[in-house]
Amino acid sequence: MSKTLKVTLAGVEFDNPIMTASGCCGYGEELSDIFPLTRLGGLVTKSITLNPRLGHPPPRTAETASGMLNAIGLANVGVDAFIRDKIPFLAGRKTRIIVNVAGGSVDEYVEVCRRLNDVDGFDMIELNISCPNVDRGGIQFGSDPKLTEKVVREVKKVFSRPLIVKLSPSVTDITVIAGAAEAGGADVLSMINSVVGTAVDIHTRRPRLTNNKGGLTGPAIKPIALAMVAAVYEQCRLPIIGIGGIACWQDVVEFMLCGASAVQVGTALFVDPETPVKITRGLKEYLRTQKLNSLNDLVGKLEKY
Amino acid sequence: MNKPICDNPRLLRKRDLGHNYFSYTFAPCQAAGKCRPGQFVHIKLPTEAVFFRRAFSVASVDPAKRELEIIFKIFGRGTKLLSELPKGAEMNILGPLGSKFTMPRRNHEAVLVAGGVGFPPLMYLAEQMIRKGYEPGRIRFFYGARSKDDIIERSRMKKLGVDLTIVTEDGSIGRRGLVTEPVESFLDQHGSSVRLYSCGPEPMLKAVNDLALRRSIRGQLSLEAPMPCGYGVCLGCVVPLTDGGHARVCREGPVFEIGEVAL
Repeated sequence: MSKTLKVTLAGVEFDNPIMTASGCCGYGEELSDIFPLTRLGGLVTKSITLNPRLGHPPPRTAETASGMLNAIGLANVGVDAFIRDKIPFLAGRKTRIIVNVAGGSVDEYVEVCRRLNDVDGFDMIELNISCPNVDRGGIQFGSDPKLTEKVVREVKKVFSRPLIVKLSPSVTDITVIAGAAEAGGADVLSMINSVVGTAVDIHTRRPRLTNNKGGLTGPAIKPIALAMVAAVYEQCRLPIIGIGGIACWQDVVEFMLCGASAVQVGTALFVDPETPVKITRGLKEYLRTQKLNSLNDLVGKLEKY
Repeated sequence: MNKPICDNPRLLRKRDLGHNYFSYTFAPCQAAGKCRPGQFVHIKLPTEAVFFRRAFSVASVDPAKRELEIIFKIFGRGTKLLSELPKGAEMNILGPLGSKFTMPRRNHEAVLVAGGVGFPPLMYLAEQMIRKGYEPGRIRFFYGARSKDDIIERSRMKKLGVDLTIVTEDGSIGRRGLVTEPVESFLDQHGSSVRLYSCGPEPMLKAVNDLALRRSIRGQLSLEAPMPCGYGVCLGCVVPLTDGGHARVCREGPVFEIGEVAL
């Protein structure tokens, strides 16, 4: 068997386990100026909502130690403009396309997914039930097991392709939410979304974000994400997409050992847009030197004390 | 639009311009031949001490030698670290990024208004205009800053031969006052055949924007904003537009038409 980076999630085959995380490459156009999107295992779009959203006023990002805070506020073109203007570009790329969906109510999630179910040109939906930056919806769903199960169940009724549910770390026990998503019928879990945080300008005595708080991302949150992936892997049978501060191939191996079958790269794209390409190159070399045939051989192989 | 290139040139020349200002020339830089006035590059410092890249507008290029120059002032941690790098240091540079200035027609009076660190892209614009055959003496270059210490590259500007007016808030060199004062008198004399170009602190840009709008003068402003990604994906650097929307300073900008941005 030849060495392969291929992974399969819910019956969907990916050329490699590297996807871009939602909100980190828009709808793909800009990143395709830098490298061909075929180099990605998959691309996850910015969160799509029923109506267009402008997002929060600036400033909505702040640099932190080994990471950043953001409170963009789900700025997006809305589902109809997305289907009309963005899907045609994405559909032409030879990579897996995952549409991230956010909403303020169960009905909104369902309506967006219903409209998406009618169009081709993408492979899966990732349900964002963990955005920390909106007043209604988002994290409110992801921190309540009943609501999580309900929204997943209702979406599954109207959307026939595989469904990924993206989990928030800002909960008491993430395995409970993972279990609720599984009970609702989720096919794959992705984790973690950003960690709630803030930063303060001591001269103006104001938060550095107009939303007063935001989501922490980048290498700063990688240890949190790894521990949560390991915990969910032990408790839950669904495949996991690891997210949180991944910036190099070694990070990917760490996530896989903890139980992730694939990963998403987010904030690292801002620092180095070529990160996914560098990671896949590194992983190929790793397979060769470790005499492994497939990355799947690594998943969950953490040897715990 | 030119697609950005990710490249690892070295710091070829490092000039200390005094009072915390530096000129850095990188080579060999593939982006050099593609960067137009107004566009910027995004630089990854060779250190873990700052997380994001730092954006710098291009101050000059030499496409034949594949050289690219930036000029910066030490403001925070990133620029401090940058200033401490030795000659020969390798840096990852992404560029060209963003929108560019559009050249004025020959029959237009070009009025360039620079404030403090907004100077480098306008110097590059003036250089390019002259290279394209625009008469140097008809480039009205208004250069304002807090004091003498913030006025850089005077001999270079003299060599260019532009019509230079220096204005400082404390009067330590040139006229005393705000740069927008002599700009306003010039506009009153020359009217609508003027094309305005401006880069500098936001209060100055706002004043220039208002002066131009009141007189129906067209032109462009180059904005600055903290930028996580620099190539349009993070949506962190948006500014409000007068039509109610948002625009990315890194992608639709940094150069905007006068009247476009709600300043």
